[in-house]
Amino acid sequence: MLEAKNIGYWYTHKDDYLFKDVNLTFEAGQSYAIVGQSGSGKTTFLSLLAGLDQPKAGQILYEGQDIKKIGMTNYRKRDVSVVFQSYNLFTYMSPLDNLLTAMAITGSQHAGDKEFAATMLKKLGITEDLMRKNVQHLSGGQQQRVAIARTMACDAQLVVADEPTGNLDENNTVEVVGLFQKIAHEQGKCVIIVTHESAVAEMCDTTYRLEKKVFSQV
Amino acid sequence: MNFLKRAWLSLSAKKGRSVLLVLVTTAIMLFVLAGMLIHTAADQATANAKKSVGATLTLSANRSSAFKKMRASSSSSSKPKLKMSSVKLSDAKKIAKLANVASYNATVSASVNAKSFDAISTSSSTSTMPGGASSSSSGDISLSGVTNTSQSTSFTDGTNKITKGRGLTSSDKNTNNVVVESELAKEDSLSVGDTITVKKSGKTYKLKIVGIYKSTSSSSTQMGPGASDPANTIYSSYTLANTVKGSKYAGTADSVTFTISNPSKVNSVKAAGKKLINTSKYSLATNDSSYQAVKSSMNNIKSFADKIVWLVAIAGTIILALIVILMIRERRHEIGILLSMGEARWKIVGQFFAELVMVLVVSLCLAGIGGKFVGDKLGSELMSQQTQSSSATISAPGDSNGGNMGGGSRPSGGAPSGGGQGGGMAVHSSMGGQTGTTSASADTDLDINVTALTMVELGGFGLAIIFLSTMLASGGILRLQPKKVLIES
Repeated sequence: MLEAKNIGYWYTHKDDYLFKDVNLTFEAGQSYAIVGQSGSGKTTFLSLLAGLDQPKAGQILYEGQDIKKIGMTNYRKRDVSVVFQSYNLFTYMSPLDNLLTAMAITGSQHAGDKEFAATMLKKLGITEDLMRKNVQHLSGGQQQRVAIARTMACDAQLVVADEPTGNLDENNTVEVVGLFQKIAHEQGKCVIIVTHESAVAEMCDTTYRLEKKVFSQV
Repeated sequence: MNFLKRAWLSLSAKKGRSVLLVLVTTAIMLFVLAGMLIHTAADQATANAKKSVGATLTLSANRSSAFKKMRASSSSSSKPKLKMSSVKLSDAKKIAKLANVASYNATVSASVNAKSFDAISTSSSTSTMPGGASSSSSGDISLSGVTNTSQSTSFTDGTNKITKGRGLTSSDKNTNNVVVESELAKEDSLSVGDTITVKKSGKTYKLKIVGIYKSTSSSSTQMGPGASDPANTIYSSYTLANTVKGSKYAGTADSVTFTISNPSKVNSVKAAGKKLINTSKYSLATNDSSYQAVKSSMNNIKSFADKIVWLVAIAGTIILALIVILMIRERRHEIGILLSMGEARWKIVGQFFAELVMVLVVSLCLAGIGGKFVGDKLGSELMSQQTQSSSATISAPGDSNGGNMGGGSRPSGGAPSGGGQGGGMAVHSSMGGQTGTTSASADTDLDINVTALTMVELGGFGLAIIFLSTMLASGGILRLQPKKVLIES
């Protein structure tokens, strides 16, 4: 589904690279964890997969097509959905409006379907009462669940998450990773999670470690 | 259309910020509206001034040419005499046929003595004139012959006003109908329908009163030897005044005033008129000073209003642009999220623009309510300043026929008004006596009204301002990288 082909990235000098010649493949219906120390470049690698930035070398192929050719905006809109550590919800909206907005922007087949959005939220434990409140009135765990529901409500087949459990307690972490597993296994999507927590990595189907500028499968 | 919904959600969720935006935009719109209203009102006032103030052309004897001829014919044996020509009405009618000439008014002045009634006496009315002439011997009543009293300057400028009966019209030609002053009527118990008699050179004339007018003119400044009270002016048809003056004056007038329908064309009418007359005998003088005074003050107000509009528009654009820039900086994270979802950048810019449009709609309503108030205040302040500075002294050179003091004081050939009339000097050779100056202030009011069209124009202006502001501020959005916002920061 997604293939990183000879990917390399550096900020200023080619010799001072974060990683190079990375070749990884990600399949639909599977969950992946990318682990590594802080500053190792795992989030940068995720931003390349999410189409938020472009590699300095190599190609990222989605369904066999270079995402540059798809167009970065189109790729982000149709094919990939991102979950962030800080949730990144629209703070002036309710959970329901957050989902409806994301569905409208990404052109989801359920765009404008309030009932579908409410069902998604309910599935993730957001009650009728909560889904109409401003998201800022929700707890961290609830906000992250809204962010995940947003991902589930959109049609993107690739879900990338950057430290999605970073702000959550142990119980919520288990619950959230369980939700990602459901997205991968029940919705058939490809889930890639960047994390520094080994417990989270252990729950994923495949784990890659970025260490000393080199990716290796754990 | 999702960006419109986002705009609405953002505005309704952040009420404090929205209220501040509405207040700032309202203030900007209010001043732009005030400027536009004043500009429109000044335009309207100028157009009205064209209609109401008008401009006139006066055909009268060429005095300077007459003086030249007098000097040329002088000899050592006899003292030269100034010969002034009366205006032939046949010449006047040719000019009256020119384009843009709305109407004409012939003016003839004569002096008679009251017979069946008493003229108003003034303390100096019987004083002996230089040279031994007595004012009373030359007539104590000034007979002012006109074609139409309503076109006579003393009536058009409001100095005289018909209070009973009617004024004279062209249908009074060849009749003995007259209009007398209310104070004279009161003193002699005269009323509309009464007949009075006057005499001149042994002849008696019966005059029928068809109207009474009230004169607000004050003669106090012109009191002196030979002066008479304005109440002693009787208006008649010009034919009657000519009859009183003598048979040789038939078909003539002291002067003829032409009312120009479009004051801006007065010079072209003058040029065309000069081709139709003998300029060595007659002069054709323009008088559009009142119009020019009004036009000048209105132009000043319009210019000031334009400056208000542009200054506020530029300042408003800068202020709004700064506010939008700050708003965008504050909402970088939101923009990042939208970009990460693949939202088109123009739609993000569109969201901010839509938010400002929504704010503008509310601001326009508020500005519409307050605009008339601000416009009225600003307009009346400007008008009072302009009126003070634009009082213009109107003088029509060439209108002076000289040789008499008994005529009117209006430059445009209207009937005599104010002091200085009557009968002291050279009444028998009266040529109308169009000498004097008068002061006219441009007292046109600004009629400030908020119309639907003004609001549409203001809306257009507001849209242009917020469009420019958004464009100036959206450079940041176009350069923003989602990774930098969402991950690196």
